[in-house]
Amino acid sequence: MTQEQQKSLQQQMARLDASTEAMVPMAEVRKLLDAVRSLLQGEFDEGEDFGNLLGELGEVARMISQAKRELRDFNPGVLQDEKLPEASDQLDAIVKTTEAATHKIMDNCERLTANLERARDRLMASTVAAQDADLMAGMEDAITEAGISVTEIYEACNFQDLTGQRIQKIVRTMREVERQILRMVIVFSLQKTDKAKQLDQERRDKLMTEVELLNGPQLPGQSMAQEDIDDILDALL
Amino acid sequence: MSVNKNMRILVVDDFQTMRRIVINLLNQLGFKNVTEAADGVQALDKVRTEQIDLIVSDWNMPNMTGIDFLRHIRTDEKLKATPFIMVTAEGKKENVIAAVQAGVNNYIVKPFNAATLKEKLIKVIGEF
Repeated sequence: MTQEQQKSLQQQMARLDASTEAMVPMAEVRKLLDAVRSLLQGEFDEGEDFGNLLGELGEVARMISQAKRELRDFNPGVLQDEKLPEASDQLDAIVKTTEAATHKIMDNCERLTANLERARDRLMASTVAAQDADLMAGMEDAITEAGISVTEIYEACNFQDLTGQRIQKIVRTMREVERQILRMVIVFSLQKTDKAKQLDQERRDKLMTEVELLNGPQLPGQSMAQEDIDDILDALL
Repeated sequence: MSVNKNMRILVVDDFQTMRRIVINLLNQLGFKNVTEAADGVQALDKVRTEQIDLIVSDWNMPNMTGIDFLRHIRTDEKLKATPFIMVTAEGKKENVIAAVQAGVNNYIVKPFNAATLKEKLIKVIGEF
């Protein structure tokens, strides 16, 4: 670029910058465009650069066009509209089923605990307690052991909370994938009617407003053991 | 001084299953006066309207997390002395440190058993 071209370009831009009118004067815009055009011609006039640049741009355009074709063949709409929501629903169903089963287990544990307490009370109140100490001790041990088993069942029910949280983490990841596919579909305008676009927007709004609780439980090995946590607590508390 | 087993304990967790597990384990340990909340907002409402002697709370919950709930408790003049045990799947070192900095009294990582719960209760409220 010659100094003269540079100066002319700067003057044109300064005039546009200084313009206080709501509408920029068209004549000034034309002058600027002419200046830029002549600059580009100067830069690319002789050489192969301009041709190369156009060639590369053409290649990029061809690649984008091919990618769009491949995406259309891949049919992201089906994945986004059917497959992913279906898979999420299946996982939700697993959480609900295991949750219902866990509650049923706990219902029975609670009944069992109540019955054990009633059995102990009746035993203590009966004449057997006074008459047969060995029998009484044996019964007492059996009730205590049954109580310990019930406690262990409660402990084992932890699984439902953890699997539930892990599955929800997967569901959230799948929704994120769904959201990204939706974005891709919108960006490339693939097979979307106005109604579908409106549904997409509603779904996207819903996905975006979902609270990021995401953090499901860490996998074993990613989380510290209780003993390690206790060491930190001992040092800090 | 022995612990009053009739103390009012608040269990906070967004998973109903987990609330039930903790409540039943507390019952097994002799603590029958237990109430529950599904998130920090509900829990904060409870502690402000009821006498609560101990809080056992999850970390990850909607509306208000356990750590935010704890911070509210520790900055409230009337509530700040309430013992607080975090029961959570968040087992990373930075989580434990953040909880301690926020004023937690103890920290249990899920999955846990009754023995761990008992041990932590003893550390926080004393022998029972």
